[in-house]
Amino acid sequence: MRFLDYIFLALRNISRQKLRSALTIFAIVIGSTSVAIMLTIVFSAKNFINSQFEKNGTFQQIEVSPQQSIQWGRNNQGCNSQSSVTGCVNITDSIVNKISKLPHVIGVTKEIAVQGAFDGLFYGHKKLQVMQVLAYDANGIVTSSMLAGRDIRPSDGPGVITITSDYANALGFKNNYSKLIGQTVILHSTAFYSGVGSNPVAQSQYIQQFCNNSTNQCSPPATELKAKIIGISNSNSPIGPGRYTIRVPMSWATGMEEQQSVQYPSSQLKVTNLLTQNGYSQLIVKVDNASNAANVAQTIRKDFGVGAADAETAIKQQLSIFNIIGYILGGIGGIALVVAAVGVVNTMIMSILERTREIGVMRAVGARRSTINRLFTFEASLLGLLGGALGVLLCYLLTLAGNPLINNQLKGNNISSQNILAMPTWLILSVIIGTTVIGLLAGLYPARRAARLDPVEALRFE
Amino acid sequence: MPELIKITSLTKTYKLGDEILNALDNVTLNIRAGEFVAITGPSGSGKSTLANIISGLDRPTKGSIIVDGSDLSKMKDRKLSDYRNKNLGYVFQSFNLQGNQTALENVMMPMYFSRVGHKDRHKRARECLESVGLGDRINHKPGQLSGGQRQRVAIARALALNPKIIIADEPTGNLDSVKGQEILSVLKDLNEQGITLIIITHDQTIAREASRIIKIHDGKVRLR
Repeated sequence: MRFLDYIFLALRNISRQKLRSALTIFAIVIGSTSVAIMLTIVFSAKNFINSQFEKNGTFQQIEVSPQQSIQWGRNNQGCNSQSSVTGCVNITDSIVNKISKLPHVIGVTKEIAVQGAFDGLFYGHKKLQVMQVLAYDANGIVTSSMLAGRDIRPSDGPGVITITSDYANALGFKNNYSKLIGQTVILHSTAFYSGVGSNPVAQSQYIQQFCNNSTNQCSPPATELKAKIIGISNSNSPIGPGRYTIRVPMSWATGMEEQQSVQYPSSQLKVTNLLTQNGYSQLIVKVDNASNAANVAQTIRKDFGVGAADAETAIKQQLSIFNIIGYILGGIGGIALVVAAVGVVNTMIMSILERTREIGVMRAVGARRSTINRLFTFEASLLGLLGGALGVLLCYLLTLAGNPLINNQLKGNNISSQNILAMPTWLILSVIIGTTVIGLLAGLYPARRAARLDPVEALRFE
Repeated sequence: MPELIKITSLTKTYKLGDEILNALDNVTLNIRAGEFVAITGPSGSGKSTLANIISGLDRPTKGSIIVDGSDLSKMKDRKLSDYRNKNLGYVFQSFNLQGNQTALENVMMPMYFSRVGHKDRHKRARECLESVGLGDRINHKPGQLSGGQRQRVAIARALALNPKIIIADEPTGNLDSVKGQEILSVLKDLNEQGITLIIITHDQTIAREASRIIKIHDGKVRLR
């Protein structure tokens, strides 16, 4: 029999028992839809996360930290003199130079986290807590995603900052970020700040001026630094600083890290640069190709004794949770498909029982055993194919319904990505082919039974 | 006329529990090409078994059946199916048409199995229905046709691939005598066109029309 005739006859037979075929297909649709949805969600989520990182060039980045045991993306802090963490190697300029000369390295950004120097950000009567003051080379290796204004440039000197959108929201400029550009805020220091802008006094005067003899408590005056906001960055950017971060130019951060003191008895001003003492908080190393990131990170760890982590390794670990979710949900859909396959077997056995006489007639007018076998196998496969195709279609409709909801959610988080739920061709094909194969396998036994019917007996069957 | 069917020492036994039943017992007979043979006998005599073996639906336990030079008892399913398809037309007592398909579709059925193309299939099926006088009923379903018309559709189906032999097992059994005579004359016409016709019947008026009657009793043939 011709291939097209098999399909034609199988279709005709399926449409003969419409309700029964529809119910059988419905069971397959449930299974295939759930499998397709699971695969779509897992695939789209991974794809979305990857694309976000790829867009920022994050896969080409390596974080280098004084602490050997670091994890990527955790805002690893440097080794300062107060907290003597074991296994700390100060990141000095000489290490920076050596790293930048390694093969595949195309750039290094130095990062300074100003620790414990400021506790308040004042704007008018609003006082916000300072979580993190951060500076990194504005050399293009690290870029922030800006919602208004501009990013810090290498030419920027002390007195300008960018703030994250969460700060801007807290200041009352939600959805109105551009109004905040050019405004001046006050960075309020902690009591013992002695960096740039502070007013150091000699020790003898200090006690007289700031200490209370009866309580033995000293409260030196805080320093207030004026800062002009030049840009609002996205708090929800998947990389970069935390949600509440103030970014300052490198030169200003260097000043903030100074320790100024008045010498005794010379009364000379002594300026200690803590940066040269403690090194940088962190480096971001950019390599030419994401595929080299892991190797270069290993080289940096080995050669300099510092910590180094690449994004891809870390993200792959994080994404493995999606794989696990995918396996679990896919398993549930798989069980539904197994149940559907049993349904196909049942339908086919019933159908063959009903059509015993017809099979006898077909054999009498010249159908071979193999013809009967193939005809029923085709029929079962077709049930699977239709179930898979409808399942994919249903899944597609669900993505159409789901995408606007997710778009809204992302828009609320200032992420411009659109329609991230997508079914790639391989997914569509593998679901349809999968259910077809399930139908085929489910049809093997009933079809064999049909083919083995004795024609004389079958013709006598009532 | 050359011998078309040569049956030699043919035995067919069935096991019913411990009992062995000889449906056909050492049957030897020949049928010439173009002959019109009636096989008669009481029910249970083995005439249907003989018809089934000649038509390649059943296989003998012992002995040989040679049709047109090839031994059916030695054929594999594939060959035997092709033999039924191309050399033989089978007409059943109860018509055995597909109730959900039109007359045309019913007649086309054997042609699917010999890979006749879509166009040729329709053309040939139409010709066959016209030749049995149903040219105006091709799109009717069996339920819309009378018993006699249904049997004509079944005959048209048997004719589809120009068989050498038509075997009709009680073709008039489900019809009244007028319709029965009509069907018989259709079959006789085909025989006159050269098709070997074998009718299984216990109706003596039909058997008398045949050029030869083969009587079967308890699985044994009595030639006349």
